[in-house]
Amino acid sequence: MNSQDQLWDVAVVGAGIAGMSAAIFAASKGLSVLHIGNGSGLVFGSGLLDVLAVHPVKDSTVHEDPWHGIELLRKDEPSNPLALVGPKAMEVAVNQIMEALGKAGMPYEPSTTNHFVPTSMGTLKGTFGVPTTMTSGAKAFENKWPTLLIEIRGLREFSAAQMVHTMGDKWPGLRFEKIEFPDSKGVFELYATHLATALETNKTRQAVIDIVRPLIGDAKAVGFPAILGLSESTAVHKAFEDALGVPVFEIPTMPTSVPGLRLKHSFEVAAAAAGVFRRVQSVVTGVKFDNDIATLTLQDATGNQEVQAKAVILATGRFMGRGLFADREKVREPLLDLFVEQPESRENWHSRDFFAKSGHAINRCGLLVDSKWRPTDAFGAVVWPRLYAVGSILARQDWMRQKSGSGLAIGTAWAAVSAMSDDFGSIGGV
Amino acid sequence: MEDTVFNGGFFTTALWIALGVCCLGLLWRLVSWLIIKIGPDAKEVSFLQRLGAAIIGGIKAIFSKRLPGIIGGFVLDSLLQRRLFKVSKKRWLGHMLLFYGCLVLIVMHALHVLLADKLFSDYQATLNPFLLLRNVFGVATLVGVVLMTSGRKKDWGKVRPARLPIDALFGILVVVIVVTGFLLEAQKMSSPKAFNRMAEEYGIDEDEIKGLRWVWKLDYGVAFPDLKGEPDPDLLEEGRGYNEDYCVGCHSKPQHAFVSYPVAKAAGLIATSTDAANVDKGLLYIHIFACFFAIALLPFTRVFHVVADPISLVVRGAASSAPLSKAGRVNRRALAMDACIRCGLCDFDCSVGPIAKWMNNQELLPSRKVQATRLVASRSEIKAGQAERLAVGAHLCTDCGRCTDRCPVGLDLADLWDAGRGDLSSKGFPAPAVWVKEEPAIAWAEALGAELGRVPPAGPLTADRNQFSACVQCQTCTNVCPVVANSGEDRVDLAPQQVMNLLRLGMNDLALGSKMVWDCATCYQCQENCPEGIRVTDIMLELRGAAWRQLGPVRDRRRSI
Amino acid sequence: MNYAIFLGCKIPAMVPAYEDSTRAVLGKLKVGLQDLPFTCCGYPTRSLDLDASVVAAAHNLALAKQAGLAILTPCKCCFGQLRHAQRFLEEYPELAERVSAFLQHEGLPFPNGVKVDHLLTVLSKEVGLENIRSHVTAPRTGLKVAAHYGCHALRPSAVTGFDNPMAPTIFEDLVAVTGATPVIWPRRIDCCGEPVSASNPDLSERIARGKITSALESGSELLVTACPYCHMRFEELAKDMGLPLMLYPQLLGQALGIPDKALGL
Ligand SMILES: Cc1cc2nc3c(=O)[nH]c(=O)nc-3n(C[C@H](O)[C@H](O)[C@H](O)COP(=O)(O)OP(=O)(O)OC[C@H]3O[C@@H](n4cnc5c(N)ncnc54)[C@H](O)[C@@H]3O)c2cc1C
Ligand code: SF4
Ligand code: SF4
Ligand code: SF4
Ligand code: SF4
Repeated sequence: MNSQDQLWDVAVVGAGIAGMSAAIFAASKGLSVLHIGNGSGLVFGSGLLDVLAVHPVKDSTVHEDPWHGIELLRKDEPSNPLALVGPKAMEVAVNQIMEALGKAGMPYEPSTTNHFVPTSMGTLKGTFGVPTTMTSGAKAFENKWPTLLIEIRGLREFSAAQMVHTMGDKWPGLRFEKIEFPDSKGVFELYATHLATALETNKTRQAVIDIVRPLIGDAKAVGFPAILGLSESTAVHKAFEDALGVPVFEIPTMPTSVPGLRLKHSFEVAAAAAGVFRRVQSVVTGVKFDNDIATLTLQDATGNQEVQAKAVILATGRFMGRGLFADREKVREPLLDLFVEQPESRENWHSRDFFAKSGHAINRCGLLVDSKWRPTDAFGAVVWPRLYAVGSILARQDWMRQKSGSGLAIGTAWAAVSAMSDDFGSIGGV
Repeated sequence: MEDTVFNGGFFTTALWIALGVCCLGLLWRLVSWLIIKIGPDAKEVSFLQRLGAAIIGGIKAIFSKRLPGIIGGFVLDSLLQRRLFKVSKKRWLGHMLLFYGCLVLIVMHALHVLLADKLFSDYQATLNPFLLLRNVFGVATLVGVVLMTSGRKKDWGKVRPARLPIDALFGILVVVIVVTGFLLEAQKMSSPKAFNRMAEEYGIDEDEIKGLRWVWKLDYGVAFPDLKGEPDPDLLEEGRGYNEDYCVGCHSKPQHAFVSYPVAKAAGLIATSTDAANVDKGLLYIHIFACFFAIALLPFTRVFHVVADPISLVVRGAASSAPLSKAGRVNRRALAMDACIRCGLCDFDCSVGPIAKWMNNQELLPSRKVQATRLVASRSEIKAGQAERLAVGAHLCTDCGRCTDRCPVGLDLADLWDAGRGDLSSKGFPAPAVWVKEEPAIAWAEALGAELGRVPPAGPLTADRNQFSACVQCQTCTNVCPVVANSGEDRVDLAPQQVMNLLRLGMNDLALGSKMVWDCATCYQCQENCPEGIRVTDIMLELRGAAWRQLGPVRDRRRSI
Repeated sequence: MNYAIFLGCKIPAMVPAYEDSTRAVLGKLKVGLQDLPFTCCGYPTRSLDLDASVVAAAHNLALAKQAGLAILTPCKCCFGQLRHAQRFLEEYPELAERVSAFLQHEGLPFPNGVKVDHLLTVLSKEVGLENIRSHVTAPRTGLKVAAHYGCHALRPSAVTGFDNPMAPTIFEDLVAVTGATPVIWPRRIDCCGEPVSASNPDLSERIARGKITSALESGSELLVTACPYCHMRFEELAKDMGLPLMLYPQLLGQALGIPDKALGL
């Protein structure tokens, strides 16, 4: 099948969490979906799905209940996209994605509240969706179980010594051992992914188990850096728990991490399973609209191609994803030159205090949308009746400080696709 | 007269010398089959082992159950030349005419005392059908030569196989032999001297001969200078009677010698003077000495393939029923050197033919590689420039086996190429993927920098900063790379993301000789997964090509010092 | 349906059963095949000389163009190389010009617009899964089959357009039509190791071993390939490690009731 040979119901541009979720939601509603973009940005994620942990940002108030947080947000920042999605829709959306990821090989612990997961920095990260391979970490900390951390020589992104050093006073039973990974003698630098795939084979896994078992001692849980398998993490994790006889958990490492790769892999599998047609190594370089049809120009190694769709979902992210672009004067949306809500002038982009808890105005710039998630101009008029925008490109949110990245992406994707499919219903598109 | 020639001590000596040279030549070439060493494994077998393998192989072939198959193959490939037939009808015809023309002439004419006389009870060179046939095959041989040599270039285009001067000389000798043969026959037909000698032999008396001379002037074209005007009809009638009695039994009408007779006719007038000037003797000398020369030359020319090829075909037959021993394989390679007739059939649909043309490097083509293989095996030192061309030929070969299928003389070219690559490696010309890794990347970069100063970009991708400047050093390429993951204790020197970083820093000279670049399995995982859409694998491949082009000469110069 | 079949160098020389089984299966499914005087696709040359590799491919594409046929190849490396060449001819106009002159000299047209498909694509897209299923007379029910994708067809997807490069399904779907059960195994889209088998045999074997281990530990009873290079890489090793190996058209052929002998088994 060639993507240029047909008129698609929806073209989704951008394959971060927002784009992936939108594509999956749209395809599950029976729409034909062409999804353009490199999903590899997903590898920067930690595998933990944040819905909302901090509000208000200026006080750094951490919430255990994200739904309650969103309720508060609705009062304080009614036009924050998270508030517009609302707690109900958010819950449905996030659970649906977690379920899809689970089916695709990356199961999440069913959840109703935020969990506090120990990270490799020795901090606790409040988050909503926790992969099953990581859940025991939160429990171990909560119950202050005597816990053994495993450090692997040559794996530079993870230092158990550092964790024990930072968390030791809050977690007295925490200790660590450094081990040599099988067949890695003399190897200076190890890569987490390669260890993860190696652990998917019985032989290497057994070798590691044999090394770790005698080290357990009184420990009630064992923590590893996040290397327990890549596409088979569930099976590898279970094998470790069965063999070691205590709960085993992964500790999320710095990007790019194995869970990031897992997330990407699982999203890709989930999208394929939903029937999404992917154009992985293409970027959209132009979009033209006429009355009913959008024509998108795709560029990849083979050159340019045009594809057509009845609706377009823009999920191109912020500055890092290149959905937004800042030049000397202002912030622009490079693909369609959409209106970007932003401070009057460049001086107001950042607060005087760079570390200001309340964040910077620039973090809250972005696209404005109407009630159906369609980008508007400065006066609230929609650009094209079936152009939608989702994810971090939207204005009036600060996902990094609110610890709400995935929730923002998934929730807005859900809401926009719902609005869009209502539209399709009314135009009889499907 | 012939008898006087053959009885003359000079001719006999010459014949024996020619035969002696021929036999020694044959022996030398046969022994070379047990001596020439091609392939690294050739050093592991002794002369005696090779001799043993040859003898046992021969015996096995004779008593093998597959003998009928072997013979069948021999008939089809050797006698009928089916593979040549498939490629070029014209060349096939030329070859058949030349070979069978020569064969028949040798049997019927040159060796008539030994062979033809025994085979055909009523053999007489001057009698039909033999009179006619000799002309037919003489012409066939000449036509064969013409077909084989003409239009070669057109047929073969750029892939025309090389021809050696000695082969051309042999071809010329064949032409000389046949042409002088015709001239001799013509001369003899018109020669009164020859008539007189025969008449003497048969004891024909003075009276009888008068009429007979007229008959032979009119019917057989003998140019008697003294017979002029019209004969007396009675005398002619009488002569015809004697002709019936004495001559017809051994002499068919000369018109059947359809080449010689017209020649004789045309030359009729001057026949007397040729007699007088002993031109006949001159022709005969040329004819016979050309034959002797050809005999002596035979083992040293391509024609030797008439000996080597049947043996090669038998060996192929034997090898297809049971694999040869190591010694047997080594022998077969040496035999191949003589059995290859440089026919160029293998070049015809060689898989890398278009590449050979594009690169303008004939050393990619199998017929040339056969010779190159020997060259590489025999020389202890090869000139770097030439070796490079040979090495390209050896290493770009795809081992598709088509040449082996095509070869009409049954060479195991696949094995030969393997052996040749082995020899090239041991002489210091392994595949680039091997020699580049002999030195660390940094050493290459230094050597290259010392020679070139600034190293030019490897190609269009590396020359274009936009192709890699977006790299955020996220390590994704390395994370998905099976080579880094499986490199074991013998680690790669640079991970893919480090190679990309070198490019960003403008140090692509350091990347050229990197193990990573050469161990890359071209799986495209990195390229497919790079969040920035960087064409990591394409760049790796570009670096390899540049390394081959740029580091190769550096290496050659350093080796030659 | 009519194709010029592009066997490449390795199939006739090293894996003749692949040719036999491909012809048998396609014959049964009424796909017409024509033989053209193809030569090397250029893949082995690409490491050393990109231009020469493009010429080699273009020469073949031009033969198909001249015959007015699309190309079907059972080899994934040939497939990838032919596609790459088409891409490079577009990307580098100067090279395209030289190639065009070369081809003209050979009496061949410039090969734009030639369709190049892999055997698996033809089976799943052109012949169609349902159509194949209707021909299956001896389903391989219950057999757990690991399909090995092969890099050069799958990636880079922008060039090959073979299937979703991250989560492909075409091969498993084709396994399923034979009645067998496809196994989703962790390393199904990873490299087989063959491209470095000559230059670094140890590395190559480690990669291949890892793959076979992964297939075995996922409960596979049979490994299927659809590329001569991958097949050669696995041949000995799979036997040593106790995993039966087949070429896809052999598996399909059996399901279609074609006698083993005609499938080179
Ligand atoms: C370092 C880091 C750590 C993170 N950690 C967490 C975490 O712990 N928990 C959590 O929940 N989330 C985390 N996230 C992920 C975060 O949730 C998402 O990045 C965020 O929600 C934004 O999602 P998005 O899909 O809107 O944008 P992005 O993720 O930025 O995706 C936008 C995508 O669009 C593509 N694109 C842009 N323009 C085009 C075009 N013209 N054509 C085609 N494609 C285009 C980009 O290449 C990019 O892939 C992390 C992200 C980063 C970078
Ligand atoms: S095996 Fe090598 S030399 Fe022989 S035809 Fe094939 S590519 Fe040419
Ligand atoms: S190798 Fe065989 S086919 Fe090639 S030139 Fe020699 S005899 Fe002819
Ligand atoms: S994956 Fe791409 S961006 Fe990341 S390090 Fe490799 S080349 Fe650079
Ligand atoms: S193409 Fe080469 S560098 Fe890239 S992932 Fe594969 S083996 Fe590694």
